[in-house]
Amino acid sequence: MSDLIRSPRFDLVRLRGRNNEGVLLGIIVLLVVLIAIFSPGTLSIGMFSDVLRSSVVNMALALGVLLIIISGGIDVSFTAIAIFAAYSTVVLMRSIGLDNGILPFLAATVIGALIGIVNAVLVAGFKLQTLIATLGSQGIVRGALLAFVGSVYISSLPPALAQVGDARLATIGGSAVSVLVIPVILLAIGLSAVLRKTMFGRSVYAIGGAPESARRAGIRVGQVQTIIYIAAGAFSGFAGMVHVALVGHASPFELVGTELTVIAAVVIGGASDTGGRGSVQGVALGVLLLALIQNSLVRLGVPGFWHTAFVGVVILLGVAIQAQSRRRRNKRSAILESSVTA
Amino acid sequence: MSPTSTAARSFIARARRTLDVAGHTGNLGLLLVGVIVVFSLLNPTIFPTPLNLQSIAYAVPEIALLALAIAVTMSSGGIDLSIVATANLSALAAATVSIALLSSGTPDDVAAVAGIAVALLVGIGCGLINGLLVAKVRIAPILATLATMTLFSGLAVALTRGTPLYGLPNAILALGVQTVAIIPVSFWLLVVATILIWAVMNRTGLGLRIILVGASPEAADYTGIRRSRVLLSTYALSGAIAAFAGILMSARSASATADYGSSYLLLAITIAVLGGTNPLGGRAPIVGVSIAAIVLQAISSGFNGLHISPYVYQIVQGLILVVVLVVEVRRGRLTSWIQRMTKRPPADGAALTSEPSRSPNITSPDTIHAAGTTRA
Repeated sequence: MSDLIRSPRFDLVRLRGRNNEGVLLGIIVLLVVLIAIFSPGTLSIGMFSDVLRSSVVNMALALGVLLIIISGGIDVSFTAIAIFAAYSTVVLMRSIGLDNGILPFLAATVIGALIGIVNAVLVAGFKLQTLIATLGSQGIVRGALLAFVGSVYISSLPPALAQVGDARLATIGGSAVSVLVIPVILLAIGLSAVLRKTMFGRSVYAIGGAPESARRAGIRVGQVQTIIYIAAGAFSGFAGMVHVALVGHASPFELVGTELTVIAAVVIGGASDTGGRGSVQGVALGVLLLALIQNSLVRLGVPGFWHTAFVGVVILLGVAIQAQSRRRRNKRSAILESSVTA
Repeated sequence: MSPTSTAARSFIARARRTLDVAGHTGNLGLLLVGVIVVFSLLNPTIFPTPLNLQSIAYAVPEIALLALAIAVTMSSGGIDLSIVATANLSALAAATVSIALLSSGTPDDVAAVAGIAVALLVGIGCGLINGLLVAKVRIAPILATLATMTLFSGLAVALTRGTPLYGLPNAILALGVQTVAIIPVSFWLLVVATILIWAVMNRTGLGLRIILVGASPEAADYTGIRRSRVLLSTYALSGAIAAFAGILMSARSASATADYGSSYLLLAITIAVLGGTNPLGGRAPIVGVSIAAIVLQAISSGFNGLHISPYVYQIVQGLILVVVLVVEVRRGRLTSWIQRMTKRPPADGAALTSEPSRSPNITSPDTIHAAGTTRA
């Protein structure tokens, strides 16, 4: 890195960002400009708040996933944890007749953290591969939710909770921005600070970059992993409650199935699939980009049955760009490999 | 070291390896017998009847094939999350072509064969796209196939606009309903496919190279294996198997849709791992995977017969996956400890002369985990 500072490409490199955040921002701006040129009518401030609205839940989910991906793992259980925590909180509230606007968020966060312990035990305790461990816990958590907690659609939330879901921070261009944006932004800023400024945060990167080196440097890998998976569970639980509050009903069949979109947003945001890289800013841009694309497809009148294919192409491009740029960055260390495969 | 003792030692090593694989497959066979006995005792009027066993045999092939596709890619150290999407896209392509041929007056058999050929081509095409992304663009397999999963299923939805296609040729439909000697045709096809895939993975150069690449990419490089070419073939093979599963899926449901079997992906991975596939590569227990598919389907059917909620089955599925893996890791720790304790310390330069050890069996769980976090 130090020789780059002296090179004339320094400014470009800095603009680009450590994890291609600059590139991502450029793509988002380009997309907005393209929409403005080709379909000026659709570009409105209302679109901005729609994009923000559809990003809130994914952003909250993505924070936990980011933590895990930086540490070199992958998680497919977080949506199951999210809906388990949120749905069982609502069921609990209804059964004891509690009506409160803030407690359910705390309760869901705690339930999420408790389920996170399962993942922590499997990954840090039994040293299972993270994909397999979270695949197993996804089945267990989702099955337990549907078999033991409930499988019915709850169409109305307790009034105070419903009120929080409907509360508007502002109305921009005829589209409401929920107050729930605020806690999610605060959480994002908090996580970003923890990742950059604390010993724990640096340990997360170290474990993801090279677990063995991290261990030899004196980092307690198991302990850090335990905290990571419990924290990710807490993020998921909170995100689940945000989802339930925003949609205004509780259905145990929602969220599960969207995990791959969230993972894609995190990876497009520059988190390395091999661990040790990633930032909250990048993830925020990745989530916004996917939401923007989905939103503009609707506004540009692209038929609904093409949306999935389109999103697939975007994910593919994002993942490919990240893989290529990482490869270029690592070129020097890969001299041996290229000479062998050439 | 005399040549006879080297030969004897390599024979013992090979025998131990065979026993190791056969051991797991054998255990699965015992587990299958155990599951059948338990459910037969719990539900003697329904479970052990020929009709019920036949219905299990009808349901197994498609999911077993998907698990085999996962096992093939896993043994190369990767994974293919796009199998279900590939299966659906292939089945849709087959349905589109054969329905068009039928309506233009082509004989039923010809339309069926053409449809199956198109499905296999589409499957191999999808696999090649995955292979290119993994081998040439060098995207992590889990992310590359995650992206293509969305892409392929998106294409399938776009092609059909979400509506199922009906009116498949009778010859394809027959695969889903007919029996030979009481056993469904599709199950016979699974047996043939299992033998073929087993032969490819264990008796051909390609299979050896796939497993080698999975066991250690670096070692494969030093052996002069062109890894990118091997990976291309691996994912093409996986795509072809998925396409075959797609044909059986459309034969059984008598239609082709874009969103069939959306719950199959996680189940297929569970089966592959339960069958003894090492998620980090280097092992291809094909027969074990097929038996594991039957075990899980038997449990599912047994639960059904006892009127246990399918959600409980989902819990059991997750538990089985986790418990099998935990036991595997523990066993790995135990065997590597025993090996360390019973093996003579190697002489100086032993690594240069002795035959290469198979890393996945010998590495300690800690390094397996470390490799997992860097490669997963």
